[in-house]
Amino acid sequence: MSLPFPSVAFFEALRAGMNDNAELFRRLGYFDCTFAIRVTENGHDPKQYVIAFDVYECTDVREVHDLAGEQTDFILEADAAVWRDMFANIRANGGADSEHGINTLTHFGEGMRCLYDDPDGHDKMFRFAESIQEFFNLAANVDVDLRAAA
Amino acid sequence: MSYLATTDFLDDKDFVDRYLYTMRTGNLDLSWMNAATEHVEVQAANKRRGLTFRDLDVGTYGYTELPAISRGASSLAPRGAEEPAGLPDMNAGTVRKADVWAYNIEGYYEEAMSRQWNAATDIPWKQLCETELAEDIGKAYSQLLTFLTEVEMIATDVPSKWLSQISSDYFEVKNFIATQCMDEARHAEVFRKRALTTGYGLMKASPQNERNLKFLREADSFAEASTTLHLQAEGFVLTMFRFSEYLSPTDGDKKLFRLVMQDEARHVGYGMQHLKWHLENAPESREIIHRHLAEAENFIFGGIFAPEVLESFVILAGKGSKHENIRAGVDVVNRFAIQQVEEYFERLDKCGMPERRERSTLWQVIEMAKAGTAANHA
Amino acid sequence: MSYYAEKYFFEDETTIEANQRLAEGKLVLDWFDVDAEKVRVVPSDFNRGLTYDDCNVGGYGWDAIPENIRRNYSMAARGSVLVPGLPDLGYTLNRKSEVWSNNCAELYEESKSRRWAPAVDIDWEAVRANPLSPPCTHAMRQLCTALLEIALGILEFPGRWVFWINQEFLELKSLHCAQMIDQARHVEVFRKRAMTIGGLGRASVAIEQAVKELISADTYTSGSLSVFLMLNSIVLGLFRTASSASSVDAKMFRLCMQDTARQIAYATGQLRFFLGEHPAKSLVLHEHLDQTEHVMVGILAAPELLEPLIVLAGGGTSAAQVSAGRDKVLAMHRGVIGEYLERLASVGLERRGRTRLEKVFS
Repeated sequence: MSLPFPSVAFFEALRAGMNDNAELFRRLGYFDCTFAIRVTENGHDPKQYVIAFDVYECTDVREVHDLAGEQTDFILEADAAVWRDMFANIRANGGADSEHGINTLTHFGEGMRCLYDDPDGHDKMFRFAESIQEFFNLAANVDVDLRAAA
Repeated sequence: MSYLATTDFLDDKDFVDRYLYTMRTGNLDLSWMNAATEHVEVQAANKRRGLTFRDLDVGTYGYTELPAISRGASSLAPRGAEEPAGLPDMNAGTVRKADVWAYNIEGYYEEAMSRQWNAATDIPWKQLCETELAEDIGKAYSQLLTFLTEVEMIATDVPSKWLSQISSDYFEVKNFIATQCMDEARHAEVFRKRALTTGYGLMKASPQNERNLKFLREADSFAEASTTLHLQAEGFVLTMFRFSEYLSPTDGDKKLFRLVMQDEARHVGYGMQHLKWHLENAPESREIIHRHLAEAENFIFGGIFAPEVLESFVILAGKGSKHENIRAGVDVVNRFAIQQVEEYFERLDKCGMPERRERSTLWQVIEMAKAGTAANHA
Repeated sequence: MSYYAEKYFFEDETTIEANQRLAEGKLVLDWFDVDAEKVRVVPSDFNRGLTYDDCNVGGYGWDAIPENIRRNYSMAARGSVLVPGLPDLGYTLNRKSEVWSNNCAELYEESKSRRWAPAVDIDWEAVRANPLSPPCTHAMRQLCTALLEIALGILEFPGRWVFWINQEFLELKSLHCAQMIDQARHVEVFRKRAMTIGGLGRASVAIEQAVKELISADTYTSGSLSVFLMLNSIVLGLFRTASSASSVDAKMFRLCMQDTARQIAYATGQLRFFLGEHPAKSLVLHEHLDQTEHVMVGILAAPELLEPLIVLAGGGTSAAQVSAGRDKVLAMHRGVIGEYLERLASVGLERRGRTRLEKVFS
């Protein structure tokens, strides 16, 4: 049965994928970062997930209702349609193409925004860029339902 | 002391106006599309090795056709790029290929990039931390590690000093220097970490060897610096690593010394190939190298028996500090010291300096020591 | 300039006798019972391995480094037993606040862990198999030429200072080594990228004048600010924009971004540490930036960099493509300046309202 997006189950599946590809992530190096994903519907009704990484593994996946109390390096925020388009592209190509990578999507902050309190946290999006992208690329092997909610 | 660009770009009205015009109108000059450069399309000769600097050795971009002297001002323009007038002079003092180049420099660089390892994770720390060493072995080993962590980064300080003085035309050399600096930081790291896991910590610093480090720092030219650093000093250390691997108290330590040995051998290889190139292309500097090596050998003799280094070796080699252990250890260390010196002269021989033996007081001393050892064993 | 030993050892009776004693097995063993600080460090996380953080204990750790180093100008390892006779190696950077950042060790460990090799980690076959359009090919060649110039400049900067930095700052000097190999890697990858698709382009007077000014800063702190923070803020923006050219370029520039972002993290940490110790020196740094920030315009607006970036961002040279590219590059410029100012503000150097850059990039 396909996993709904967005959902803890979906991000847990990515986490499982990371475990299955341990050697890849080990080769990429230490991955010490916690970020949040915020999925909105036309700018409203956010669903928020905190994803934490330590050393070479994803150590935490949680849905949270209020990010104010969370220690995150940055938040990736976009409408559900943007996220779905990105994951559809990943699933179609085995990995994001040059127009759908996290860096490109957040670069001008139009489709997806990277929000942060501390520039040091923002810079972690770049310090761990390849690991972050490979994490999202794991969606290529996840059975996920990317249809918009009715 | 600083450099100021030839224009303050914010006050340069023409410059700013052109930018604003471009951004407003989208009128692009595009003359850079017709840059006066050679057209090449390189590919990897060996796909498993990937695209290497050797694959880039083509035409005016390559190192084979590099002229013997990088004439004129030395800018940051990459070799082969079109160089418009007005590029700043980086004042590189080292602009002769003979002074910096080495056979196979491109190979050494690619090998270095390929063989980087991580002292934090590639050493079996769990096994080492769980290993208890006998007091005399533990202290001797910690003392050896103290010496090694003390001297390793001379080979960061010295090459990095020269890095900014070498013309960017010889970027392969600069890149290799960068890898060596990283290698040495890793060596200082692994020896320090190992010492701190033994339970004995870091022990006595070595004044005599430190003075040798000062000598290495203060060389007058890159060729002199490289000869004494890469070929002589690192050559001696390479022999020491090989003996240390042989004497290592645990399998984990053997692995540690095998890994550092790989890096060190690469540096020594560069030093040899550099000296060979230098002597072939700048024969007038032979006597300068001899003079520099004469003082280096003085330091060797002064420091070769620095108690805190060789005594720790004696205990490790003899596997203890009792009288019979020390006798056995001294025998090994004497052979080790002779081997260090013999290999040093062999390297010079292969680089085109066979006459160094006859001119060297150090060689005479070692010959006497060998004769003495042979007589004792007879 | 050279240094000679204090004696000619071959003729020194003391040395000859000492050598003879050792050869006979008469050990001195003055090192055996030195008063060393005994520790036994273990990895706090075996997955991470044994890190410098695990070694930050007692007199061995960086927490124990005083602000003013007065007792050791040699390469004797921090925490080892210092003895008379250690030479002065000539280090001129001996104040912790001048060079230190509390994230040095962390960034050093991260850089080792996240290393990559352009020869094999970039799919060069895919570059050949999936060529960019002719205008974008030209643009990528030119962009790589400009990035090469910048990388060669940044490569020099740590090299200019490492020789002069006291060895007590081991983790910082090690980080410099990592920064040098990062830059060597960038020199390598941009040269290879350009040469797979036609070769290099035109060097840039504006870029090189700007970079030379930055790397020639008269103090280490102002240089680190200029190169690792200011210049790298631009470089990061360039990498982010150029990565949309192709999938291979997306990966290549992501990997480069990682290296550059670490350098930025060091620089902000160093500034924070420096200003924490010397808050009044913010005035000096402000004056330095008042003088130096013009180079950001020199680099961003250099035609040899600006135009290829517009072509790549827009996907070509048609009027519509240039218009689209121009908009993206303008947004990138504003983003770069904005993030640069944000980084400075986060360490206590608020420049919004003061910087001349706002004349051009507001």
